[in-house]
Amino acid sequence: MLPLSLLRTAQNHPMLVELKNGETYNGHLVSCDNWMNINLREVICTSRDGDKFWRMPECYIRGSTIKYLRIPDEVIDMVKEEAVVKNRGRDMKGGRGGQNQRNRPAARGNFGGRTGKPGQGGRNPPFQKQKPK
Amino acid sequence: MASGLDSFVNHTVSIITSDGRNFIGTLKGFDQTINVIIDESHERVYSTTSGVEQVMLGLHIIRGDNVAIVGLIDDELDNRLNLANIKAEPLNSVVH
Repeated sequence: MLPLSLLRTAQNHPMLVELKNGETYNGHLVSCDNWMNINLREVICTSRDGDKFWRMPECYIRGSTIKYLRIPDEVIDMVKEEAVVKNRGRDMKGGRGGQNQRNRPAARGNFGGRTGKPGQGGRNPPFQKQKPK
Repeated sequence: MASGLDSFVNHTVSIITSDGRNFIGTLKGFDQTINVIIDESHERVYSTTSGVEQVMLGLHIIRGDNVAIVGLIDDELDNRLNLANIKAEPLNSVVH
């Protein structure tokens, strides 16, 4: 299971985020992205020493400043079903669409270029050298 | 890309973070930046005056930037430890 899949599943759940500077942010996860940047709602920020508190309706945290996230235990059971469905989707794309579409045009292009124009083009000198021998 | 962490998945691991803390839990997943998921985790807080204190935490994502060491725990050996008798200096944080 990927950490970012778990984080995505934790959307709309409460969580605690500790930053590298020691501040903690308690709030509900609104959204997150592939860089772990997150949006929280109804946030309580606690200072490094735990002696000062700030309430804010909303905040955005850059992923690179995060030390760790504490997530409700039940979220991990919700991610499993999602992960299976998503992996199936990826396998389909990789096996059928992606590979075939990339390989076919390249292969045809190469063969066409060599056999169709024996007397011209940049790739022909090797052919011409072999013929006199 | 193969990573040495593959074989640790669903096993108990000890994670030393760069701020010198020690998290114990079941490794549920990781990615290429060594962000890790640990489930049923607790923190072991070391001190020289009293035994090791265990703080229950639960499900965590630890960001890879902050992970210094991921070690595999031998559950059987770990269960035999008497943490109340272990006294140690807390680790310092990593100096960059």
